Amino acid sequence: MNRDDTDGSGQPASAVPLLALRNVSKTFPGVRALDDVSLDLHAGEVHMLLGENGAGKSSLIKVLYGAYRADAGTILCDGRLVEITRPADARRLGIAVIFQEFSLVPFLDLAQNIFLGREPRRPLTRLIDHGRMHREARAVLDSLGLDYDTRALAVDLGVAQQQMVEIAKALSQRARILVMDEPTAALSERESKTLFTLIRQLRASGVAIACISHRMQEVFELGDRVTVLRDGRRVATLPAREATPDQLIGMMVGRAVGAVYKRRQYGKAGEIVLEVRGLTTATGVRDVDLNVREGEIVGLSGLVGAGRTEVARAVFGADAIVAGEVRIFGAIAKGGPERIAARGVALIPENRKLEGLALKRSVQDNLLVASLWKLFPRGWYRAGVARACARALIDRLRVTPPAPRRMVRVLSGGNQQKIVVGKWLAAGCKLFLFDEPTRGIDVGAKSEIFALIEDLVERGAAVLLISAELAEIVHVCDRAYVMRAGRIGGELARTELSEENILRLAMHGA
Amino acid sequence: MPAILPIGLLLVAGALVAVHGFASTRNVANLGLQASILLMLAMPMTLIIMSEGLDLSAGAVLSLCSVVMAEALAGGHGLASALAASVAVGLGFGLANGAMVSLLALPPFVVTLGTLGIAEGAALVVTEGNAVSGLGSGIASLYALDVFGLPFPVLVALATWLLTYVLLHYTRFGTYVFAIGGNRDALVLAGAPAWAYHIAIYAFGGLVSGVAALLLTGRMNAAHPTVAIGMEFDAIAAVVLGGTSFERGDGRLLGTVLGVATITVLRNALDLLGIESSLQVVSIGGLILLVIVIDSLRRSRREQVA
Repeated sequence: MNRDDTDGSGQPASAVPLLALRNVSKTFPGVRALDDVSLDLHAGEVHMLLGENGAGKSSLIKVLYGAYRADAGTILCDGRLVEITRPADARRLGIAVIFQEFSLVPFLDLAQNIFLGREPRRPLTRLIDHGRMHREARAVLDSLGLDYDTRALAVDLGVAQQQMVEIAKALSQRARILVMDEPTAALSERESKTLFTLIRQLRASGVAIACISHRMQEVFELGDRVTVLRDGRRVATLPAREATPDQLIGMMVGRAVGAVYKRRQYGKAGEIVLEVRGLTTATGVRDVDLNVREGEIVGLSGLVGAGRTEVARAVFGADAIVAGEVRIFGAIAKGGPERIAARGVALIPENRKLEGLALKRSVQDNLLVASLWKLFPRGWYRAGVARACARALIDRLRVTPPAPRRMVRVLSGGNQQKIVVGKWLAAGCKLFLFDEPTRGIDVGAKSEIFALIEDLVERGAAVLLISAELAEIVHVCDRAYVMRAGRIGGELARTELSEENILRLAMHGA
Repeated sequence: MPAILPIGLLLVAGALVAVHGFASTRNVANLGLQASILLMLAMPMTLIIMSEGLDLSAGAVLSLCSVVMAEALAGGHGLASALAASVAVGLGFGLANGAMVSLLALPPFVVTLGTLGIAEGAALVVTEGNAVSGLGSGIASLYALDVFGLPFPVLVALATWLLTYVLLHYTRFGTYVFAIGGNRDALVLAGAPAWAYHIAIYAFGGLVSGVAALLLTGRMNAAHPTVAIGMEFDAIAAVVLGGTSFERGDGRLLGTVLGVATITVLRNALDLLGIESSLQVVSIGGLILLVIVIDSLRRSRREQVA
């Protein structure tokens, strides 16, 4: 045994790993993205990477292709120490990464895309040798069993075809290590099968494949080994056939979320405020049923891309509804965001800086922007009324510093979030759709935001809380829906709320 | 096929029927001369717009190049060194535009608006606002030269088209023009120095302006500091009429050539009808909107299919 068997995986150590990460760490201000992570990729294996949102999978990929430079740790390729500081380094080592955002150029043909940056040129004139490029592209596509026309433009391909071309591109670079970030996220069942066949074929030819996935089924169908990450640390690496779904889920949960909010009390649910039936949208929401009652905080969880935000946007009238209906206070809701907002619905978007706030305007302006007609029905602005109203809101929301004239841009994330909530409070909203309200704000501010949300429901409002942080859903909500691939995977009552149960629904579906 | 082809053909047909003297030998030769400078500006402009950029300074830089060339000739320098000076000025502006757009990530609209002002001002300062004449006969006779039956300016313009075509379709530079507009990250991930190619696109524009000054100066055997001001409008219009998009690196040179032809025919026919220049601009504006509306309707249909 010449391999340093630190991962305890029991995988036969037949050879030196093609690629090995040893004790890699990467820190950003306030976040430990990777903490002492070691990982081996062997020739001819499919290595699945599993972890909750924010567990460090993306950071790991970025270290592998040179977008991030690790603060500590080493990378070994064929047992030799290597440095990967730029994408070009990764390429030279035979590492190819296929991202969810494709790296194809829309108006170049397939051959040009496959050979981007490595176009074969005629020796004398230095002009591109189109004949050779198309021949070689043809050969690569043929070796993958793909019959696409090398002269077709990338823009004319479907998502699945683009994915295949990405793989062809990687192979034409003689990649020995292929890293894929959720390759099936945008594929249909049948397209996924084709992709799996291709991946198995590559494995048989000795390529090392690392694959991020959020679908439990894929892990077992495709993976030889599984590595679970949590909070930037490697929890375990084990052979896929020895693992069980529950065991893996158990490893993924239990994130250390500092000082999780404790609900003060659970109230009584009243009338149904929001009722969604059979909601289907062009943005990927499929046949969603849910409801939210007065005095309730209802969670909407699921992994990234499961369609949570899309549900909120459709309810708010920001995206078109293809099928199904949305009822607010019993009446069918139709029309765009202005009409929905006028009925007392507030959407607090994930990207509050872009969608929720005018950053260069004052706290007061932002607080009152949605309620100007309510405050001044005749259209005449009265400075005294505006100031008094803004002050009352600032006190209630505990905005610090309590300065109505301060520019919103200079406030902390938590205070900015309060301003967005305050804006809709002033407008008299009764139904609040919160999309990741605590993203990017510190722990102290988080519990203030939750206190504020609880305050809202105690006064009779209804809240739909979208969050990828499982602990938040578990500790804050009265009950929760879990989404998976655009559908509701299941509903959990308060007594059933646990991180394991949420993940199980998010990854398996009902 | 962009909507410009049928519209351009209709326009030519209309001019043949309704405009007296449009089909005369002299006027046809005139059309070629009028189109040549515009074609030279529109070729690099196509690449710039494909890269999701814009060059508002093209007309002003061309004026300045022409002034520099004329001053050199008037000062007794030879045609070669005058051309070199003009090309150097054009290239300098192109590099400056490209560097600010590529390295500093500034919006092309603002960058080239700034260099437009600088080039226009510099041309006025150099000439004190007057035309530059007394250039000798060298440049005028070069302009009047016939090569294989083709007037010299038409030949230079066609050579520019050929050169741009080869660059766009047979060199890495051209491939990367598509990539910079379509998916710049992909190019960076492919390990290519995208920033350098991005600068080169604008530098190419400046360089061609420097050569185009030869035609502009030769046509009048003089230079005027504001003679080509506003010509970027026609060049951008030709590119847009030709179906090149401001997004995703979607462009076609042949479309731009058709756009140049259409604008030239339109202006020429209106000239012959005695309609003043400002109204010609109005008609070009209307034509752009017409073609864009037609193209966008067809495109949205295509996207629905896809």
